[in-house]
Amino acid sequence: MAERIAIVGVGQTHHKSKRLDVTTAEMCAEAVERCLEDAQMTMKDIDNIVMGSFEVADGYYSPDKWIIPELGAVGKSGLEMQNVGTTGGVVAATGFNIAATGLFDAVLCLAWQKMDEAAGAFGRGGGGTNEYWTGQFPMSPITNFARRAYAYMDRSGCTEEHFAMVRVKQDQCAMKNEYAQLRLGLTLEKVMNDALLAWPIRRLHMCPTTAGAAACIVCPEGKAKKVTNKPVWVEDWYTCHQGGSLTMAEDPTSSTLAYASNLVYKRNGITNPPKDIQAWEVYEPASPAELRWIEEVGICEDYTAWKLFEQNKVGIDKEIPFNPSGGVTATNPIGATPVVRLVEAALQVRGDAGEHQIPGTINRAMATGYGGQGENVIMLLRKTL
Amino acid sequence: MTTEQKQDPEFIQFRYPREVTYHHALGYQSKFANGLKQGRILATKCPVDGRCTIPPRIVCPMHHVRQTEWVDQGQRGRLISAFKINFPMFNSRTGELQTWENPIIAVELEGGARMDGWCMETDPSKLKTGMLLEAVWRPEEERQGRADDIMYWKPIEE
Repeated sequence: MAERIAIVGVGQTHHKSKRLDVTTAEMCAEAVERCLEDAQMTMKDIDNIVMGSFEVADGYYSPDKWIIPELGAVGKSGLEMQNVGTTGGVVAATGFNIAATGLFDAVLCLAWQKMDEAAGAFGRGGGGTNEYWTGQFPMSPITNFARRAYAYMDRSGCTEEHFAMVRVKQDQCAMKNEYAQLRLGLTLEKVMNDALLAWPIRRLHMCPTTAGAAACIVCPEGKAKKVTNKPVWVEDWYTCHQGGSLTMAEDPTSSTLAYASNLVYKRNGITNPPKDIQAWEVYEPASPAELRWIEEVGICEDYTAWKLFEQNKVGIDKEIPFNPSGGVTATNPIGATPVVRLVEAALQVRGDAGEHQIPGTINRAMATGYGGQGENVIMLLRKTL
Repeated sequence: MTTEQKQDPEFIQFRYPREVTYHHALGYQSKFANGLKQGRILATKCPVDGRCTIPPRIVCPMHHVRQTEWVDQGQRGRLISAFKINFPMFNSRTGELQTWENPIIAVELEGGARMDGWCMETDPSKLKTGMLLEAVWRPEEERQGRADDIMYWKPIEE
């Protein structure tokens, strides 16, 4: 029988485009220190560590050899994982799995990416997933989302201006988040006139390259109640492998997000997602993707999310509080990004998100991780059990 | 902030260029590569729902049954999606930055399988979802069994 589990502490670095003042290990230690402080714990209390980054974009292999000593955690039990953009998601999900066994008191989940050290790794690696099948194309997140955005416009009837509305909303949220990397004060005009990367994707539509780390501590119920009076309960989680083809999805606008969230909704009795979930931190690597993701998590009908932006219904203090932290177009330390989503969702549930806190009580929040061309990790949080 | 950090002699950064050569086996998919050399596009067919897939696989990813039948997908297909890259990007085979004139497209072949390719039409506004396309091959002596043995997909009048 699995234990019920809760997040008892969270921490993240102030995300930047460059961090010359720290090594990868030192940067990780910064996030872990903040996390331990938040949980009012020390490294002595941690008995399992799950950690990971997208190694190709770091340039180190076996990074735990360098990071674990920096954390003062030599000899502790743990795992290192990686799965492109979903790395942080599989780190958290694995941490949840381990905590739910009840075999450990406190599991530290840590993910990081220091993209100032190998930002070109993505481009040079082509699609990166398989050279024979994708190597002839200069595939990257930019080209992946250009194709999705093109198909979305084709099917929904929305225009480039709607993508710009999404980007401005994301920036308005990021402006209120002191940890966000890009806080730009954007206008529709500025986004519409920004450099075109691959039509209809402009530079501002894409997530930046980020140096940053994020961490959380997960405990089984008994321990969680002793440690904190503000546990954030992990209601459910699901990591979804991608089906179909390496080179293209069956539906070019779609990912596994709809499949995975429906599965999680069903087993937790969620019948009306926009009502049953009060805070969303969904991994959207490009602003046009946010439209499709809003539909895939069940907030509105397929190909209608752009109307919500036209009606000014999406924002921190609006009807649909989607990505109040500013999301991934403001901050993207790739491997760490799903843990950033989880940290932000947990802060929303606790009511500790500060300036970007959603008004009212957050009983349930959903965080996701996205990676490759469609894998998703769903993480569902609750204020009370 | 960034500029200040760069100028600050207190923190030092070192550069490590690396070059690695990989040799990836193509396995069961070698039949697809050999087909390309002969100007044929071959896909595996699922015995459960008859769906043809590229990349070919020993088992169907959805039904997990063995796929022994290979089907010639023909020379024509319809456009599913397209995009054009408007800035220099790395060529992952050469490691060089280069510009890319032709749109990248996804095509649904006559045989039902789907694959990516380059479009001969360079103006993306002339591309319409569902339009008919035909494969334009490299001369036989230049083919290597790679997917870009099909140089382009050329729009066909209906």
